[in-house]
Amino acid sequence: MLTATRLPYSKIREDLFRPLSRVSGRYVVATVIAFIVGALGLVAWGFQLRRGMGVTGLQRPVFWGFYIVDFVFWIGISHAGTLISAILRLTDAAWRKPVTRAAEAITVFALMIGGMFPIIHLGRAWLFYWLLPYPNSRLLWPNFRSPLLWDLTAIVTYMTGSVIYLYLPLIPDMAQLAEHNTPWRRRLYRALSLGWTGSDREWRALERAMKLMACIILAVAVSVHTVVAWDFAMALAPMWHSTIFGPYFVAGAIFSGIAALIVAMAIIRRVLGLELYLARGHFDRLGKLLLLMSLLWFYFTMAENLTVWYGNEPKEMAVFGSRTRAHYAPYFWTMVVLNWAIPFVLLGIRRLRTIRNATIASVCVLIGMWIERFVIVVPSLANPRLPAASGFYAPTWIELAITAATFAAMAMLYMIFAKLFPIIAVWEFKPHPQEDD
Amino acid sequence: MYLIGEFHDEGALIAAIRGLRANGVEPASIDLFSEEPVELPRGVLDRPSRLSLVSVSGAILFGVFATLFIWWAQRNYRLDTGGMPVFSFWATGVITFEMTMFGAILAAFGWFLWESGLIRARDPGAPVPTVDPGSICLRVHCREDDVHEVSDSMRRAGAVHIGRGAS
Repeated sequence: MLTATRLPYSKIREDLFRPLSRVSGRYVVATVIAFIVGALGLVAWGFQLRRGMGVTGLQRPVFWGFYIVDFVFWIGISHAGTLISAILRLTDAAWRKPVTRAAEAITVFALMIGGMFPIIHLGRAWLFYWLLPYPNSRLLWPNFRSPLLWDLTAIVTYMTGSVIYLYLPLIPDMAQLAEHNTPWRRRLYRALSLGWTGSDREWRALERAMKLMACIILAVAVSVHTVVAWDFAMALAPMWHSTIFGPYFVAGAIFSGIAALIVAMAIIRRVLGLELYLARGHFDRLGKLLLLMSLLWFYFTMAENLTVWYGNEPKEMAVFGSRTRAHYAPYFWTMVVLNWAIPFVLLGIRRLRTIRNATIASVCVLIGMWIERFVIVVPSLANPRLPAASGFYAPTWIELAITAATFAAMAMLYMIFAKLFPIIAVWEFKPHPQEDD
Repeated sequence: MYLIGEFHDEGALIAAIRGLRANGVEPASIDLFSEEPVELPRGVLDRPSRLSLVSVSGAILFGVFATLFIWWAQRNYRLDTGGMPVFSFWATGVITFEMTMFGAILAAFGWFLWESGLIRARDPGAPVPTVDPGSICLRVHCREDDVHEVSDSMRRAGAVHIGRGAS
């Protein structure tokens, strides 16, 4: 079978730069649809800003609903890129080359989207700057003990690191793109490539910086989702106040991140015609990784629920019961099927581990992990320690529209990125004789 | 005066650099241009880097600043902590960690831009060769008197083409 490593470099470059110059009708239609869905989300948010948080389904005692679910979900998805790319880069996995940039772009866009939710959730979004450390008129500084401020610093750090980590390996490609292109693109690529000439000083500085950034980003990525987990674990709410929430969330984030990466790769290879570059082997390896994370996720879920059930503490059991037997049981068991049973069958049996099945399993995991966030957030709030305060939560069209808009925004940002920059790092993809892909 | 030699073989390139170094050409006067990173054996054309040191310094600076700032803000603008300490490393450790990492990232990126020369003033007279796929160009900055010696050294090593560039 022909693989990209056997192609001449000129052909590789031509293949990977070609998608940037052509815009098909299907691409335009998909972008317009994504734009319309995104715009509807903005309209819904505008309506919420005008009428107040009462237009959402949030009410006592469930004050965290879809927005926080979406926030945790998208921050989890952001672990697709930079973290996976950093691990593969530090372990010198040769097969990473066509995967890394597609993954890193997911991180940046997912963080941009996820980072919006705390602001949407604020209600009075125009006061978001109260989170920043400045001496305001009441001489109150932000509460540095608050996990919400931890979130802000963690996300800003991760976002900055991820943008730089995406940008650094783009520089040589942009310098090449600046040579032959339309005038406005030439100006864009020239400005962004900072006059890159391909000298050994530049290459060495780039390689050193990439390695160092990979090390830093690993620590930051783990800390980000741990901090998100601590938003819950620091509260004394039933089934939230758990010591394993940090690693449980990090494992779940990597799990959903890999699933997002597989789905993105499957779409890219079909739409941009990169079947030679994103081959079955890449899906096979990522599929195995997804299976491993599925098993790890199942282990954490078991550990979390079994200890609660064994402890038999009344308030915890109320949440446990509502999750597994009562109102939220359909969500819980759907989550188990989507996150564990389906990936186990489709990815565990070697014969079934095809590109299509890996993609199906990944879509199931994405849905399952969104439900998992919902199952973690809502039942605990709906069954608080005060017995009289129990309640239910159902989202309104506002929350549904904003949630749909985030998926559309992700698709739109990704499509625009894939038209502006090569979605596979061309210079990194150049085959080396000593490497066997 | 700049001389540019084109090589198609990494072995020849290494021999050329060793020859030039033996003739007294400083590493600062030698530049390679290629479409991909060229890995040379240690000692051939080392470029010492302070990236790690700068990054660690940035990390320490930001971490210490963040901690002192939180300590100052919490001492001077006291919040009701319900009997808990006004300032505690436990409660602010996360922000200290994140800001430490933030400092490391910014310092690493800034130093990358500096070390690579991307944000430094360049010699406008230094020619940047157009590199064909598969070839590596060696640019040497030398005096007019040394041109023949440098040129011979590159040719002997296996340069397929040698050209001159203005100073």
